[in-house]
Amino acid sequence: MMKRALFWAATLIVLAIVIGPLLWIYLTAFKASGDIFTTELKKLIVFAPTLDNFQRLMTDYPYWFNLGNTAIVSVVSTIFVMLVSLPAAYSFARWNTGGGHLLFVTISTRMFPGVVAALPFFIIFRTLGLLDTHVGLILLYIYFNTSFATFLLYGFFRDVPAELEQAAMIDGYGRMEIFRKVVFPLILPGLAVTTVFCLIWSWNEFFYAFLFTRLTARTVNVLISSFWGSIEVQYGPMAAGAGIAILPTLVAAWLMQRYIIRGLTFGAVKG
Amino acid sequence: MAGVILEKVTKLYGPKIAVQDVSLACKEGEFLSIVGPTGAGKSTILKILAGIESVTSGNVYFDGRRVNDLPPQQRNVSMAFETYNLYPHMRVYDNVAFPLRAPRWNLKLTPEEERRRVAEIARFLGIDELLERLPQHLSGGQKQRVSLARALVRRPAVYLLDEPIAHLDARLKFSTQTLLKEFASKYRSTIIYVTHDYREALGLSDRIAVLRRGSIEQEGTPEEIYNTPATDFVGSLIGEPPMNLIDGEVVTRNGQAFFSAGDNFTIQVRDDLVASMRQAARHAEGRMLTRLGIRCEHVALSRAKLSDNSFQLPVYAIAHEADSSVVTFDLGGCFLYVRSRGETESRDYRLSEKAWLDFDQSHVFFYQATVDVAKV
Repeated sequence: MMKRALFWAATLIVLAIVIGPLLWIYLTAFKASGDIFTTELKKLIVFAPTLDNFQRLMTDYPYWFNLGNTAIVSVVSTIFVMLVSLPAAYSFARWNTGGGHLLFVTISTRMFPGVVAALPFFIIFRTLGLLDTHVGLILLYIYFNTSFATFLLYGFFRDVPAELEQAAMIDGYGRMEIFRKVVFPLILPGLAVTTVFCLIWSWNEFFYAFLFTRLTARTVNVLISSFWGSIEVQYGPMAAGAGIAILPTLVAAWLMQRYIIRGLTFGAVKG
Repeated sequence: MAGVILEKVTKLYGPKIAVQDVSLACKEGEFLSIVGPTGAGKSTILKILAGIESVTSGNVYFDGRRVNDLPPQQRNVSMAFETYNLYPHMRVYDNVAFPLRAPRWNLKLTPEEERRRVAEIARFLGIDELLERLPQHLSGGQKQRVSLARALVRRPAVYLLDEPIAHLDARLKFSTQTLLKEFASKYRSTIIYVTHDYREALGLSDRIAVLRRGSIEQEGTPEEIYNTPATDFVGSLIGEPPMNLIDGEVVTRNGQAFFSAGDNFTIQVRDDLVASMRQAARHAEGRMLTRLGIRCEHVALSRAKLSDNSFQLPVYAIAHEADSSVVTFDLGGCFLYVRSRGETESRDYRLSEKAWLDFDQSHVFFYQATVDVAKV
């Protein structure tokens, strides 16, 4: 009985930590300014819902345009990342290309804090005229995600036994056909997980977007941060903007949760 | 169908020798078994034939054509793996049909033909009930039969079977062995069969090659391998109980050659065997040491003295089998096994009772000692 109570208490605490901020965002998004700043405790949950914040967001700010930028940059960079990482990881896993050194160099790009690369990139991008462009941000995200995706996919490819491919060779299939008919179906969960991770990472990325974009390529995260002004903090539109911006990642994570859990434990429970 | 020739093939993994100077020929339509203990290089030879492994030196010929540099896809072989290697995301049906669908063989089967071919081999191996299942829902023995079906569904130049029935239970093993034999004669297939179980090799093969530490120890028909083992290794590997191997000394008295081991075991060696005995002997501390080999069924056993050359030993243990008994004698350094067929006597030997033994010297061999025969 005691054990049960403890279990539920722990569950509730974890749930509160995870759901609390989300709840705050969605409650605040539907509140009028008066309800946001009141100290009355019951107004935390009980209030007259309004769509004012959303209306202001759409009319006074280029919200959809910036959300579109986020989508373009995330999707395009992820496509390119997968196009490069998939063959790279396969080659690392199957033929140990570069004797391990190349793989290490690839991964090492994620071993320093992002800010280290910011200055050199900024100078290069300024010279090339890539500041505040979609292409510029896409290139940056490709740079950061390729190493991560390659490393993740490398693990999934390693889990496909080489003997399976040898069996397919003996059965009369060429390299490409084997990849398509044997290897690809087996790493599909891993591929899904990697793609979703890359998408979510680019979607959520703030630091580089903040430094490298101003107007044309500004992402939705940067817009949301601008509500935190020097004079006032506009919690209403901020919450409304964030509430919409996090929806795709929530949906993606929810849809893929079966694959994500399976993908992350893929190597551990092979049978 | 094709004949296969290995010519002085050597395979190194780094400094480790997997296969050394192996020359082997398998004629078209022949069933050749490669027998050897774990790690002898049997599977490596199959992988070399399949083209999965390259040779370090030597040549591989299919039908007189050198295929060293041909990739697996171009060799037209099929293979059953000891580890099954079924495609986990395909149903059993698709696993078996997979080789039939490869564009390289240009079979262009209609869906009906394909279904017929798969159903035929599945029925043959008793897996027709499993066709809709995924490999992960099969037992080890079922997976093994699926793997075998995948190897047998096509008509390649050579079939390479790596321990294809090792994980089946005893009854199924026997029936599948019969099926394989039927398959081999029906399609006159060239089959190279790897096993560590000498019974399978004796039962199935036209010819057997015994492999030891990467080299061929003996090659011959099952009868030759069983009845005239070339070395003590072959004798101890083939047969249950293994061939009796007795370490002893060559003694010459009055121009007669004797073999003696321990304190109370000495036999006179037949004249025609003396030459081979001396050849196998080595000199140590002024003595001539050699090793005598004889199969357990060539030792006669009786309560009465059998001949001038027979000798007496106390019974150490008796194991009864359905149609015979194996009586064990302690010879000091090693055990001597004697198979006694059905008759009355062997059943009621008592432990420690002294029995008369006599070697049938037309089945006695002398070997250089190359394996350890300590009591086990």
